This record gives sequence, C-alpha cells and structure tokens, in this order.
Amino acid sequence: MKELIIALIAGVGAGGLYAMLGAGLVVAFRGSGVINFAHGAVAAYAAYTFDELRENGDVYLPWFDPIPEFGFLKTLRINNLPVKLHLGEDPSTWLAVAVALLMSAFIGLLMHFLVFRPLRNAPTLGKVIGSVGVMLYLSSIIAVNFGGQNRADVGFGGFTTDSPAVEILGGTIPRSNFYLLAAAVVMGAAVWALYRFTRFGISTRAADENEKGAALLGYSPQFIAGANWVLASVLAGAAGVLFIHKTQPALFVLFVVPALGAALFGNLSSVPGATVGGLLIGIAASGGVELADKGWWPAWLPAEGVRNTVPLLVIILILYFRGDKLPIRGSISIGRQPRAPESNNVLIGLGVCVGIAILLSNIFVSSWEAILTTSLLATLFMFSLVVLVGYLGQISLVQFSLAGVAAFTMTRLAADGTKVRPNDFFVNTGWDLPDPLAALGAVIVATIVGLVVGIPALRIRGVQLAVVTLSAVIALEDILIRNTTLLGEGAKSTNPTPEPSWFGQYVGAFNPDTNRTDYWKYTAFLILAVSLVGVAVANLRRGAMGRKFLAVRANERAAAAAGIDVSKTKMLGFGISSAIAGIAGVLFAYKLPAVSSDNFSVFAGLALLAFAYLGGITTIGGAVIGGLLVAGGLSAETLGVHFEDIDVAYINAVGAIGLIINAIVTGGEGIAMLQTDQGKHILAGLRRDPTIAPPDSVLNLTQEEIQGDVEGALV
Amino acid sequence: MTKNILETDGLTVTFGGLNANDSVDLAVPEGTFVGLIGPNGAGKTTFIDAITGYVGMSAGTATFDGEDIGALKPHERAGKGLIRTFQSLELFEDLSVRDNLLVAGYPTKWYTFILDMLHMTPKNQEIEERVDWALDILNLTDVADAMPTDLPHGRRKLVGVARALAAKPKLILLDEPAAGLDTTESTNLGRQLRTFLDHDMSVFLIDHDMGLVLSVCDYIYVLDFGQIIAQGTPAEIREDPAVKAAYLGEQAGEVQAQEADRIRESQQEEVPS
Ligand SMILES: Nc1ncnc2c1ncn2[C@@H]1O[C@H](COP(=O)(O)OP(=O)(O)OP(=O)(O)O)[C@@H](O)[C@H]1O
Ligand SMILES: [Mg+2]
Repeated sequence: MKELIIALIAGVGAGGLYAMLGAGLVVAFRGSGVINFAHGAVAAYAAYTFDELRENGDVYLPWFDPIPEFGFLKTLRINNLPVKLHLGEDPSTWLAVAVALLMSAFIGLLMHFLVFRPLRNAPTLGKVIGSVGVMLYLSSIIAVNFGGQNRADVGFGGFTTDSPAVEILGGTIPRSNFYLLAAAVVMGAAVWALYRFTRFGISTRAADENEKGAALLGYSPQFIAGANWVLASVLAGAAGVLFIHKTQPALFVLFVVPALGAALFGNLSSVPGATVGGLLIGIAASGGVELADKGWWPAWLPAEGVRNTVPLLVIILILYFRGDKLPIRGSISIGRQPRAPESNNVLIGLGVCVGIAILLSNIFVSSWEAILTTSLLATLFMFSLVVLVGYLGQISLVQFSLAGVAAFTMTRLAADGTKVRPNDFFVNTGWDLPDPLAALGAVIVATIVGLVVGIPALRIRGVQLAVVTLSAVIALEDILIRNTTLLGEGAKSTNPTPEPSWFGQYVGAFNPDTNRTDYWKYTAFLILAVSLVGVAVANLRRGAMGRKFLAVRANERAAAAAGIDVSKTKMLGFGISSAIAGIAGVLFAYKLPAVSSDNFSVFAGLALLAFAYLGGITTIGGAVIGGLLVAGGLSAETLGVHFEDIDVAYINAVGAIGLIINAIVTGGEGIAMLQTDQGKHILAGLRRDPTIAPPDSVLNLTQEEIQGDVEGALV
Repeated sequence: MTKNILETDGLTVTFGGLNANDSVDLAVPEGTFVGLIGPNGAGKTTFIDAITGYVGMSAGTATFDGEDIGALKPHERAGKGLIRTFQSLELFEDLSVRDNLLVAGYPTKWYTFILDMLHMTPKNQEIEERVDWALDILNLTDVADAMPTDLPHGRRKLVGVARALAAKPKLILLDEPAAGLDTTESTNLGRQLRTFLDHDMSVFLIDHDMGLVLSVCDYIYVLDFGQIIAQGTPAEIREDPAVKAAYLGEQAGEVQAQEADRIRESQQEEVPS
C-alpha cells in the first residue's frame, strides 16, 4: 500500500510533462482548430537542439539538405541548403535553453505558414493528414539530423538527473518530480491568465466562437492562429527542455498520446482542465506500473503496457461517452471526402501490373527481388487502408500494428521449439501448426484484435478516431507485440520465423544460400496474393456493400435513414481491413529470417499511411503507386538513394512533405486521382467531347479572354 | 375503419427542460396523406426525429404498422418501411444520384461483401426498376449519373425524396421537400406527391408552403410550441380560428387558401385520372 502511494505521488513528474504538453495542444487547437499530432515531435526537436548545442555547440535547422552527401552524390560535394550552424564551443546552459525555445517558436511559425494556414479551409481529413504529416516529417528530420544514438543530458536548474531525493513515507522521490509539477501548474496558470486577461487572449477566445469576433477586437484571425501556433510550440519546447533529464528526447514524439488524453480531459478548450488531466494520467500510469510489479499481477500484462494503456483508456472513455451512435443534427460536417471512383478495368490493370512485376522479378532480371517485394508488401498492406480509410472513411492509424500482431502470432503458431536457422538467438515454442493453418490463425487473431480496436469507432469519428487509434498503436505494441509471455521469448527483440512451406513448397524469401531475401517462389507467391486481394478490394467498391461503405463515409445519419446498420457496417470494414493487414503482416514475416517489433513501429505505420495517401487512399491504383514510393521500394531504389542506413528517414521525410502537399493541393486525393483527372482531360482533348469539362480553370478561358491576355502582354 | 400505419400516443421529447414535442397524439391511417404544419421551431422536425429514432422520446409511445417501435434503432425502423427525408439535404455527396438511390434500395446480408469481392453480387431487377421509377417521377433521370454536389439546391432536395422512395417505404416522412424549390419544381412536386399513394405507401408531409399542404393532404395536424393545437381536413384547418391566430394570420390565410385552390385546379386539368 505504502509503495503504491509513493508511486502515485512520484507520478506527478511524468504527469507534469503530460500537463505541459496537453496545455500546448489546447492552445494550438483554440488558435486554429487543429489537433496537432506533431506536438510531441516539436518538444523532441527542442530537446535535441538543447542537448546538441550543449554537447557540440551545433544547431540543426529543422530541414535537410535536399542533395544529401552520400552515395554517388557524395562525389558532387554540393551543399544546397544550410542545415548545421556552429555556435561556438561550450555555450552556456541558458543560451541553450533560449535557442531551444527559439527553435520551437520557429517550427511553430513554419507549421502555421507552410501547413495549417494553407489547410485552414480544408475538411477535417486534410487537417489530420497535415498534422500526421508534420509528425512524420519532424521525427524523420530528427533521425536525419540528430542520428539514432542515445543522449544522456543531465538537465539544468533544478531539473537534473542528480536532483536530491525527498523522503516521503519512507520512500524517496526525486525533487525534480515536484519541480515538474510546479512548472506545469505555473505554465498552465500563465496561459490561463493570458487568455483571461489580455486583449490577445480575449481575441483568441472570440475567434474560437467566430472569426468576426476576433476581427472586431482588431486582430486578423490568421494573426491569432499564427501567434497561438508559436505559443503552443514554445510550450512544447519548454516541456522538452525541462523533462530531458528523465528520458531520451526521441521518446517525446509519442508523449503526444498522453498529452492528447490530457487535452481531451480539458475538452480541448480548457488549459486548467488539460493541466489537471495530464497530472492525473501521470499519477494513474505510475500507480498502474507499481501494481504491475506485484506478485498477483497476471504475467501476460506487462508493466510497460500498463503505462501506455492508461492514456488510451482515458481517451476512449472520454470520447466514447461524449460521442453519439449517430452524429446529432447540425453537428459540424466533416467536409468533402476524396473521391472514390469505381475501377472499371480491374483485370486489365491487374494484367499490366502482374506483367511488370514478373518482368522485374528474378525470373527475368536479377537482383531486384528484395526491392520489388518491399513495394508489393507495402501495396498489399495499403489495400487494408483503401478499405477502411478510403471506402469507409475511418481514419485508423493502427492497422500496421495489426500486421505486426499477425506476424508475431504466425511465428508463435508455427514454431515447433527447435532452432530454425543455425545462428538464431531465440528458440520459439508454439503450436507447430502446418503453414496455411498458422497463417490463417494469425490472420484471424489480427482480425479479432482489429474488431476490438474498432469498437470505439462506433461512437468516435474523424480526427478523434485518429487520436484513439494512435494511442492504440502505442498500447498494442507493449501489450501484444512486445509481450514475451504471449508471443514468445523473442518478442522484445527478434522472433525467428519458421520456414514457411505451403503444400510442400518453400515460399519464404530468405535464401540461405545467398543470405538475401530474394527467393523467387516468394515473389511469385506475393504477386499472387497482391493480385487476389487487389481484385477483391476493387470489386468490393463496385458491389452493394461497397456502396454502403461509401454511404457511411459520406453521411452516417442519412445512411441509417436508408436502412444501413452503421455500427455493423463499420465493424465489417474494420474486420476486412484488419484481415488484409494480417495477410500483409504474415507475408512480411515470410520475407524476414526473424521479425522484431521494430519492423512494425509506429513510424513505419505512419509512413505507410503517408505514402498510401500520397498515392491515393481511395483506389487500388493509389495503393500501387504508394507501394512504389515507400522507402526501400522501387522508386527510391531506382533513384539510387539506398547507400546508407539513414535512407529510410530521408525517404520518409520526403514522403511526409509529399503528404502535406497532397493534403493542401488535392484535398488528400493523391497521385492516382490526379492522374485519372489528367487522363480524362487528355482523352477529352483527343475526342473533343464537349460534355467532359476540362478541370483546369485556365482551360475554361474563352478565346476572347486568351486573346485579351496575349494582347495585354504585347502592349 | 382502416388501420393506422403510424400512431403516436403522448409522444414527448425534451431538450434540456424544454418540451420540443409535448404529448403529441397523431395518427396516419393507411393509404392516406397526412400533413403537419406549424411555425418555425414548433417541433415538426423533432417529431420526425423522434419517430424515426434520431432523438429519444422522454414519454409516450410510437406504433408503426401495429408494432411498438420505441426501442428500435433508426436503421431498424427504416427496415420496417418507415422512411424519412431530411430538412437539411444529407445526401451521400460522393455517390452519384443513382447510387444514392441504390444504397437505399439494395438489401445486403452479412455475406454480401464476399459476393462483392468476387464481383458476383446478383443484380436485383425489382430494385433497379424501382430506382428508375423514383428518378423518373421526380424528373431526375437526366442527372442520374451526376454527383449531387453538381446539382442546384432544388434538385438536390428532390434527390433526397427520390432516395426515400427507392427504399420502398410503407410510410414516407417528408420534411419540407418543397423548401428551396423554384415554382415550376414546386408545382411539379405537388402534382406528383399524391401519386405516391398509388404505390402502396402512406405519406406524411411537413411543409411551410400552405398552398401545397392544403391542396395535397387528406388530413392536417397543426403544431405550435410542441403541442397539437388543431387538426382536421384542409377545409376545417383553413377555417380554424386557433390556426389562423397561431400560424396563418388572418390575411395570409386567405392568400394561401386561394393558392391552394389554384394548385388543385391545375392538378385536375393536367393529371388525367
Ligand atoms: N438536438 C437538439 N438539442 C436541443 N434543442 C433542439 C435540438 N433539436 C431541436 N431543438 C429545439 O427544439 C425546437 C423544435 O425544433 P424543430 O427543428 O423540431 O422545429 P421545426 O418545427 O422543425 O422548425 P422549422 O420549421 O424551422 O424546421 C427548437 O426550439 C429547437 O431549437
Ligand atoms: Mg424542421
């Protein structure tokens, strides 16, 4: 009991961090109506900036050199964009703090001007994509600029690793925990007062209600939005710097999840509410972890999982009970959704794609096998997003974790307790199921988990569902994927995959002779799977159920009036999508000699979502394009950016930029739709068919107008 | 005596202490055309919301086709043939007009998605025909493949009505279908409305266009502040002093009544019986 109380009190440390981050989320939301998934990433960038400056005297600007110095590009020795500034040896701590906060403010400004201002009139979906894009961009840039190595920053002021302990009830708690609590309260109170008593704050509150309100007080709505972005980012930066002595800066990126819980506790509008919520989440998580240490605690529920499940539960409880089965009358509309046209020439498209894939594969051209299968796997996985996000409109960030669940379950089900390969570190025990059954079992497990994760979607929609599923990613990783009790000893590092043999044929990609993942039967097997699933998903759109999916996506109230069981339809969508994700997960595992939770990290999942959007999340063609674009896939490898480890981060950063541009330019429709439009356009031009209007406004000019322009230019 | 397709008894809906519907007793006899009128904010839409399950009833019962539907979910009520339209469009904006109707008409089973994936969903001739009929009756055949967002407001409104017709209603609940229509569209709709009755359905109409309501309805209820303040045939309603005071206004009543006569005449001229 005493230990529990001590643990609860110690929880104010992490709670203080969540409170500070939560307050910043509220500020950004009030200023611009955006739930900023990148908030933790801003804190992380500031923390890295702080540490890097103290360690090496360098400051990295939040972008990367577009012509990186590696691979054959190294020989060119061009540096296009300044990235690294040297501020001198041994700068003072306070300079480092100031620079870190300035950096956050700068990032806030960039976010406002480059992303969220252009997106201000975009539908909900666009804003979600934008903010997920920024999150992915910043974490990729962090990987590029600050590398992967650990930091050991001791902190500053009272916020240090060697902070003296306070004795409570015979236990000890570092004093810095209480400083964090104090910082959160002071910060929350200051922001509250700012909103309460200054003209700027009152204008923000007025702008919250309607834009004219703010204009009357003499500020333009865009100024208010921009200023709040800067304020929110500085708060994030401050939280990062104050907390760096407790953790690795990279972890801040995902602290956005408990922070979202805190902000939702304050209903996204109350800073004091968010502060209290953050502290409560920190306290509850710390207490939960303490309980998980006890003897009676079930072994299959690991302590780390408990820590990350608390915010998930808080978020689900708040949103689920605030939500309605159907949106109420006059609730804010979700705005236009990306078009989801039927594919009419499914078989022709299939033939072309399969033909190209076979040509590229080892059968005809050597050594492209591994790259080709990376793209194919990504496409296969993206089909699950096409169904769930594209057709049904449920923004789920968790699908790739389900692929992970399937991969690990498959290794467990197929394992027979003997060493698979001579140099395997772990030996997995399991059910020794023959292969089609092990794979099937894994897909079923992924589907069931997907259905459970989908339950909140019955009442939670739009961006809030994105919040829930993001927190589910973190919880799933620790509860299921890294769970050694459930999934075998290797779950925390590498779980050897049993050599898959379907009906007597070895279909794994790992070739023990060459030690590479280039076995041709695997490629053929994968091409088959992608084709079958792709055709099925395309056909789904053309059928009666697919139509109902789109109806639910467009308008749940009207869908119910048309006799559609919205809840069941959503569950069906989650089920189909999760099964596809499960298939992709199993086939991904077949490619690897061993699976590890890193293969299914949250960033890998977000990157896939990003590229799926970039390709076009509503169509099969979009998934194919998305699959070509991923890091390690065909397009990146063709361009030759695969020489060093860092490549994934580069490609993902580029993908994130593409994602943001996509959200701004095409309303999230992606490349596939652009190309469809262009195609129609060209066909229209060829046929001179007046019924198809060219989409481009320039082409709508009359002859006279063009003439006028030309004459004007001549004069 | 014909049976009532819809019947409410003491139906009450409360929003934060305010009774938006206050003990409403209302009946729609099978095969008839019943109207509900009342000033803005009287609670008409709330009444439709309550019987279709979009808001909860705080007291009273609603019986549809002899069955108490109070505990059913909205889609279950729709499945029984109680089909509504919305005052605020609420179309499926990224489905074509035709698909909007097909969504409502096509029955699906849990395994339909498997047939879909194999591209083997059986075509349902009856429903395709029904959709064609609904498009035709509302003059939408020429825009069947257009997107609703590309249509002017009035025609979008009609897509909502057509969608309800495609769902094979036993009782169709129309919430201000004529609002936002231009005069031609409105007259045309008025002409078509009564033909709905020939297709095995009853009609319940809410509209502010008194001319329209008085001309097409067999029986009219008047709602004010959530309460039924009058009911009767169009002729009775036209003369009812309470209605005149609460809603029509002395002068307006006359004008509306004349309008109704005019529409009635035009109907008799143009619709051969
Ligand atoms: N979800 C709700 N929550 C709170 N009050 C509501 C809600 N829906 C409707 N009301 C209120 O109930 C009352 C009746 O509204 P309702 O929309 O039913 O009127 P109406 O007769 O359809 O009006 P109109 O002719 O303008 O369509 C109004 O005062 C309205 O503000
Ligand atoms: Mg109304």
